[in-house]
Amino acid sequence: MSNTRAERKQQAKLEAESSAAKVKLGASDIIIRTIGYVLVTFYALCCVFPFLLIIGTSFTNEQVIRSEGVQLIPKDFTTKAYQMVIGGGTIWKSYALTITLTVVGTFLGLAIIAMTGYALQRKDYPYRNVISFYIYFTSLFSAGLAPYYLLMVQTYHLKDNYLAVLLPLMMSPWLIILMKNFVKQIPHEITEAGKIDGAGDMTVFIYLILPMLKPALATIGLFLALGYWNEWYQSSLFLSAKVAVKPLQYTLYELVNKIQALKNSVAGQYIALDDFPQESVKMANAVMATGPIVLLYPFVQKYFIGGITVGAVKG
Amino acid sequence: MNKKLIAAFLAAVTAASMLTGCGGGEALADPAAAPTTDEAATEATGDDSAPAAADIDTSEHVVINYMTTGDPPEGEAKKNLDAMLEKLNGILTDKVNAELQIYYIPWTDYLSNYNLTLAQMDGSVDLIGTASDWLDAWPNAKDGAFLELSEEMLQTYAPKTWESVPKEHWDLCKYNGEIYLMPEDNYAQWTNHGYIYREDWAKAAGLDKVDSWEDLTAYFQYVTEHQSDLGLNLAWDSDGTQYGQMASGWVSSHSDFISIDGLAANALWGGTKADPYTIVVPQYDDQEMMVAYAKEMAKWDDMGIWSTDVLNKTTSANRDDYRIGKVAVEQHHTQTWTDLCSHTDNNTIYTDPNAESGFFWFGEENGNVVRLNITHGAMAVSAASANPERALMVYDLIRNDKECYDLFNYGIQGVSWDVNDEGLRIQPEGYNPDTQNINGMTNYWWGRNDDLEIKDASRNWDAIDPMYEELDAAAIDYPYGQFVPDVDEIQSYIDNINEVYTNDMKLISYGKYDDKGMTAEEAVQKLHDDLKAAGIETVTAALQEQFDALYK
Amino acid sequence: MTKRKTTVVEGSPESFSPKKRTWYQTFWRYRILTLMCVPAILFFFFFSYMPMPGIWVAFVDYKYRKGIFGSPFVGLRNFEFLQQSGKLFSLTRNTVLYNLAFILLGNLLAIIVAILLNEIQSRWFKKVSQTLMFLPYFISQVLVGILVFNLLNYDTGFVNEVIRHFGGEPWQPYADPHVWPVLMVIIYLWQQTGYNSVVYFASICGIDAEIIEAAKVDGANAFQKIRYVILPMLKPTIVILLLFALGGIVRGNFGLFYNVIGQNPLLYETTDIIETYVYRSTVSDFNFSSASAVGLYQSVVGFIIVLCANGIIKKIEPDYSLF
Repeated sequence: MSNTRAERKQQAKLEAESSAAKVKLGASDIIIRTIGYVLVTFYALCCVFPFLLIIGTSFTNEQVIRSEGVQLIPKDFTTKAYQMVIGGGTIWKSYALTITLTVVGTFLGLAIIAMTGYALQRKDYPYRNVISFYIYFTSLFSAGLAPYYLLMVQTYHLKDNYLAVLLPLMMSPWLIILMKNFVKQIPHEITEAGKIDGAGDMTVFIYLILPMLKPALATIGLFLALGYWNEWYQSSLFLSAKVAVKPLQYTLYELVNKIQALKNSVAGQYIALDDFPQESVKMANAVMATGPIVLLYPFVQKYFIGGITVGAVKG
Repeated sequence: MNKKLIAAFLAAVTAASMLTGCGGGEALADPAAAPTTDEAATEATGDDSAPAAADIDTSEHVVINYMTTGDPPEGEAKKNLDAMLEKLNGILTDKVNAELQIYYIPWTDYLSNYNLTLAQMDGSVDLIGTASDWLDAWPNAKDGAFLELSEEMLQTYAPKTWESVPKEHWDLCKYNGEIYLMPEDNYAQWTNHGYIYREDWAKAAGLDKVDSWEDLTAYFQYVTEHQSDLGLNLAWDSDGTQYGQMASGWVSSHSDFISIDGLAANALWGGTKADPYTIVVPQYDDQEMMVAYAKEMAKWDDMGIWSTDVLNKTTSANRDDYRIGKVAVEQHHTQTWTDLCSHTDNNTIYTDPNAESGFFWFGEENGNVVRLNITHGAMAVSAASANPERALMVYDLIRNDKECYDLFNYGIQGVSWDVNDEGLRIQPEGYNPDTQNINGMTNYWWGRNDDLEIKDASRNWDAIDPMYEELDAAAIDYPYGQFVPDVDEIQSYIDNINEVYTNDMKLISYGKYDDKGMTAEEAVQKLHDDLKAAGIETVTAALQEQFDALYK
Repeated sequence: MTKRKTTVVEGSPESFSPKKRTWYQTFWRYRILTLMCVPAILFFFFFSYMPMPGIWVAFVDYKYRKGIFGSPFVGLRNFEFLQQSGKLFSLTRNTVLYNLAFILLGNLLAIIVAILLNEIQSRWFKKVSQTLMFLPYFISQVLVGILVFNLLNYDTGFVNEVIRHFGGEPWQPYADPHVWPVLMVIIYLWQQTGYNSVVYFASICGIDAEIIEAAKVDGANAFQKIRYVILPMLKPTIVILLLFALGGIVRGNFGLFYNVIGQNPLLYETTDIIETYVYRSTVSDFNFSSASAVGLYQSVVGFIIVLCANGIIKKIEPDYSLF
C-alpha cells in the first residue's frame, strides 16, 4: 500500500500547486469553465428530466397514462405497478443473483482483461500482433444464433446453468482493446526499469503497472458491471422456465413481455388478459432496474484522479 | 499480420471445432432409430377400454416431459399445480407406469425459444404442443423435430385417440405420407375475426344490429359524434397492427375468397368457394374492391376513429378499455367475443343493464366463413424422445380419460372447479383465480375434447349458442388442410411480398396514404405494382402447380 | 516500492542484447506474458471460434436430425431474400450513414463533454452531473420509444401541446420521414454520450500530470492546453475507438430503431436499417439460416472496411493500428 500513500502525497502536492495557479485564472479558463458548467448542466438536465417522467408515470394509474400520456406528477397516484413488479418477492432474489453475477463477473473479467491488455501492449512481446488479431477478429465474425446456442447447450451443457450468463459477458474484444489503449499511456520505461531491477513480468504487472491503471480499471470495471447489470439476452436463451431465479433485467423484461407477446399472438385468445398496468409497469421496471447501480458511478469516479505521474512511480 | 498465418489459424480452428461439432451430432438421436414397434403388439390392439395392451412393456417407470408455451406458475399457484400433478401422476403411474412433467417455454421470445429447444434434440422433451398456424408445426415436422407416428404405433399406444380421430383428419396431419400430429379436432372454437361492438349504442344509432361494413361506418359515425357523452377515449384505440385482419375481413365480406393458412402472416393466397383449387389473391387481382376499401378507411381515419399516429401507437390496451367502456369496438375473433359478451366481473360495462355486446363477423354479409383448421392445436412427439411409446400412452389418457382430463384441464374437483345443478362448471367457494386456475397453468391446447368438456357457467351461453349456430350454419370446412406447401424455393419471395404488403396495406387500412400524397386509386395501384415487383405471380404460379399436383 | 526485489530472475540482463534466438527460446522467454494471455485466448476460442464453423448454417437447408454439417447444401438460397428485395443497397446505405453519424458525432460530443468536465473544478458538480448523464443508459430502448412518442405524437404529444398552446400549427413527425435522421441522431447522442465520455474522461485522467503542468508553466492558456496537450494525447484513443467502431458499421442499432420508429411504413424511407428489415421479413418465417446469412453479409462487409482502414492507418501511423 505504500505506493498509494506516495501517490496521495503527490496528488496533494499537485493540487496545492494547481490551486495556487487558480488564483490567476486566465480569461480562457473562465470561458472554458463557463461553457463547461452551462453545457454539462444542460445535458445533465436533459438526462434527468425523462427519468423524472418515468418515476412520475410509474406511480400513475394506467387509465390516465393511456388517455393522457406520461406524467411528471401523477394525476391519479397508485403503487399498483410496484406491487406488480415486486409481486411474490422473487424480485429480491433476482437482485441478489444479479449483484452476485455482477461482482464475480466484473472481478474475474477485469483481472483477465488487464493481464491481456498489458501483455498485448508490451512492445517487446513478439506474439502481440497475432493475439491482438485473434481477439479482434471475433468482433467481426460471429456464427449467429443457432450454432452458438447448440454449442452452448449440446457441447458445453450450459443450459439452465448460471455460467451461461456469467462466462460470455466476462470480456469482449472491445474491452481488451480499450485496456490495451490505456496501458499504452504508461511509458514503456516503467516496465524496463522494473526488469532492470530484476522483476519478472508478473511482478512488474502487479506492482508497477496495475496501480497506474486505476482509471482504466475503473472504466472497464464500470462497463463490465453495466454489462452484467443490464444482461437479459443470454438469460433468455439459456435459462429455461426450470430456473426459478433469473437475473434482474430478464425478470423485469419477462414481466412486461409476456403480456405484449400474448397480445400480439394467436395464443392471446387462450389467456384471459386482465387489466395489467402495462405502461406503468414498464416505468416501474426502469426505476427498479436502475436502483442501486446509479450509486456505482460516484464510487468508481474516485479512481478517476488525474495526474498520476511517471515521476511518482520513479520517485 | 500476414495472410498465411491467418489462414492457417482459421483452418486449425475450423478443424478443431468440426471435430467436436460432429461428435455432438452423433450424440443426437439417430433418425433411423425411431422406436421399433413390436409387431406382436399391433395385433393386440383392442377396442376395449384398457389403455395399454397387456403385452406392452411398462415395467420401467418413466418421466414424460410435456412441452407447452406459457410461464411457469410460482408460489401458491405452483403448489396447487403440483398437488394436481401428484394426483394425476398417481393415476398415470397406475395405468401406464409413467409420470408427466411440464416443460414451459415462457412467452418472452417464445417462438425463438420453442424452435431452439426443439433443435436441441437431446430428449429433454417428449410430448410437444404445437400448432400449424402459430407454432411452426409444419416447418418443424419437415426439419425433423417430430417423430413419424405410424398407424401401428397409434393403434397400439394411443388407441382411443386413433379411434376418435376420423381417417380424413389423420390425412390432414400427414406430411410426405407420414403422420406427425395428433389434432385437436373435436373441440368447438371459432377464431374467425370481426368487430365486437356495443349493441345498445348501435340501437341508439338507429341500427338493429351491425351486420355489414356500411353499418359499422354508421355506428362509428354515431359513436364519434357522441364520444364525450358516452365517456369514450376513442372509438377504437387501435395499435396499428390490425391492418391485415381488416383487409382480409373486407375481402371476406366482399367475395367468396378462402385463404390458405400458415403460408405467411398475411394470408394472401387462397381459392374461392366457387373454384377452391384455382389460386387467387384478391388484394392483388381485384383493384376495384380494394379502392372501395381504401376510400372507406380514409373516411374512418377522417372521422377520428383511431389516434392520428396510430401506426406508432404501442401503448393501447383496447380490449381492457372495451371492458370498462372506454372504447366502442374491439377487433378480434369470436372466442374473444364470448368473453367480452359475458357478464363477468372483469367486464364492468355490464353494470349498465342496457349494455350488450354484439359481434359482426367478417363475411357476415355473404355468409363467407371457414371452420378452423384442425391442426390449429395438435400434439406431436419429439423425434429425440427416449420413450415415445409411453408418451403416446400418456397423451391418450389426458385426452380421453375422464378422470385424467378433468384433472389436467380443470384441476382437483371441489378446489379448482365444481359442477352446478345445471351441469355447468363453476368456481367453488373460496376459489382464487390467481392461484387455482389449473387451466391457465397446464396450457393444454393440443387435445381438448368436447366429449369431456364441461361448459363454463360464467359464459353468456344465451348469446353464444345462437352465434355458434349461426356460424355453424354458414361455415364450410377448411378445404386445404392437407395442403402443406413446399415453400423452400419461394420463401424469399414470400418474405418480400409480406413486407411490401404490410407496408402498403398499413397505409390503406388506416387511411394514411394521403400523407404520402396518394389517392385511393394510386395507393391500390402502388400495392399492386409492389406485389408484382416482389414476385407475387411467381409464388402464385408455384402454389398453383403444387395445388394441381395435389387436387387434380 | 522499487525496493521490492523479487527472486524471479528470468528478466536477466541478456534481455537487452539483441541476440538472435530460436523460436523456442523466444517462446520460453515470453512464457509469462503468454500465460497472461491464455485465459483470454481460451475464452475467445471457446465462445467465439468454436461456434464459428457453424456459420455453415447460412448455406444449408438446416435439418435438426442431420445437424448443421449434415444438412443439404443450398448455396446462396438463404441470401436470396435480401438480394431479391431490391433494398440491399438502400438498407446498407441507411445503416452505414446512421452509424457514421453516431460514431463521429458521438465521439465528438463525448470528447467535448470529457474535456469540459476535466476543466471543471468542483468535485461535487462533477460527481452529480456524471451520475445524471448515466441515467439515459439505464432506460431500455422500449422506454425510449415510449418517451419519444409521448413527446412527439400528434394528438397528445408534449411538443404539440406547447405548439397548440401558443396557437401554432401542430407538427406531425410520425408522418414525415425527413425529420427522422436528425431526431435519431439526437436520441442516440442523448442516450450514449454519458457512457461514451467515460472512456475519454479516464484517458484524460491518465495523462501525465507533469506534462499539463509544464504546459501551464510555459504560459499556455486553457484553449492552448486543450489544443496542444490534451487532444494530441487523446489521439490514439480516438483513432482506435473509431477504427474499432468501423468494424460494426454495417450492423445497425436494432433496439433503438425498432422501438422508436416501430413499424410505421411512412418512415421507412429514411429509417429502415438492415436489422429492422430482416426482422420484419423473417418474423413470420422463423429461420436460423437466413439470420446467419445476413450476419455473414454484415461481417464480410465490415471486415473489408476494417482491413482497408487499418491498412491505411498502418501506412500513416503504424502505432495506432488495431492489429
